[in-house]
Amino acid sequence: MEEESKPKEKFCGNCRYHNTYEYPALIFCFVQYQKQKNPVVSTLFCCDQWEFKPQGCFCLEDTLKRSGRKS
Amino acid sequence: MKREDFLNSPVVHMKLKPSMTVNQLVQQFEKSGSFGAGRLAAACDVYERMLRDEQCTIFLALAGAVVPAGLRATLADLIRKRLIDVLVSTGANMIHDLIEALGGHHYKGHWFVDDFLLYKYHIYRIYDIFVPEEDFVKADRALIETFDEIANKSEKDAYSTNELMREIGSQLKDPESIVGAAYETNVPIFLPAMRDSEFAYIHRVHSHHSEGRELTVDAFREVPEMLTIMERSPHIGMIVIGGGVPRNSVQHAALMTGKGLDYAVIITTDRPESGGLSGSTLEETISWGKVKRKADKTMVFADALIAFPLMVAAVLERLGKDFHRKGNPK
Repeated sequence: MEEESKPKEKFCGNCRYHNTYEYPALIFCFVQYQKQKNPVVSTLFCCDQWEFKPQGCFCLEDTLKRSGRKS
Repeated sequence: MKREDFLNSPVVHMKLKPSMTVNQLVQQFEKSGSFGAGRLAAACDVYERMLRDEQCTIFLALAGAVVPAGLRATLADLIRKRLIDVLVSTGANMIHDLIEALGGHHYKGHWFVDDFLLYKYHIYRIYDIFVPEEDFVKADRALIETFDEIANKSEKDAYSTNELMREIGSQLKDPESIVGAAYETNVPIFLPAMRDSEFAYIHRVHSHHSEGRELTVDAFREVPEMLTIMERSPHIGMIVIGGGVPRNSVQHAALMTGKGLDYAVIITTDRPESGGLSGSTLEETISWGKVKRKADKTMVFADALIAFPLMVAAVLERLGKDFHRKGNPK
């Protein structure tokens, strides 16, 4: 099976694990939460623990569409 | 028995009229006396007798997703009016109560839907109900913080599930919340399978950052609490929605006190043949000593979301608006 190529840009929305907080623009990040940093971050945010493993969700795609950006 | 003993009560056919009240409809069910209609009419009679018995403590055992499905306010009302005395529930039903108490919602959906599409939109499905993931996440966050606060201020070594529900209930403002209503009216809520719900995840995250101030919930601590209530109660009644762990927790406590249940109404769609507790008949329960041989009892095989509101509405109508239970021993 062909491995999915990694995205050019790193976003929370294509991180290995995320939950939605305000679909699609805001994500609740438990990594941030455990570090006592603001856990509610933009889908387009990216922290140093970003890891690509897509969930197959629409968060990033819809956020990029709404912000007028291309993926 | 003689032949004529089998043939002394003819089926009276139902007559349905415009503007019938719920209790009038149930009375027509009673005249027919057949199948689910007959059992539902019998359940109304048993519940009414439980409520009119001044020495009866009524346990409601709750399993299955009836809180997200629309029984939340009904159950909170029953608690406020003291038409039940003790709630024994799955953890999940209380989580769904708290999701709404903390600002979230459940939505009417459909059972025939592309579930992977829902997954991609972060929407969870409970048969034909949709729950947005963010409502779960926001409730999780609030409850993790509540767990932190309780752990930081508490001098207790551990909480029972009922004590924890009281702590959470004391912080709620939503008048339709089950947990809030139970706190206000001092109705115990026991969650015998609490870790089998979102509470487990909430506790996991809380314990990760608790730095030694971890909230401990002792699953066995509710046992003596429940037994004490039963021991003080001259008569014990049980209403079951679904079955599962909540039903057996009530029945098993009735066995441990050596008393057995005096009244029982079970509403379920489960069947006895597979040997599971939820479908086991009340006659089977008698063999364990959990229900008295001559208990006032019936089992309704029906969707609880239909049968339970019908039963409650019919009984409320019979009792009238001025009815107040007296002498409740709890």
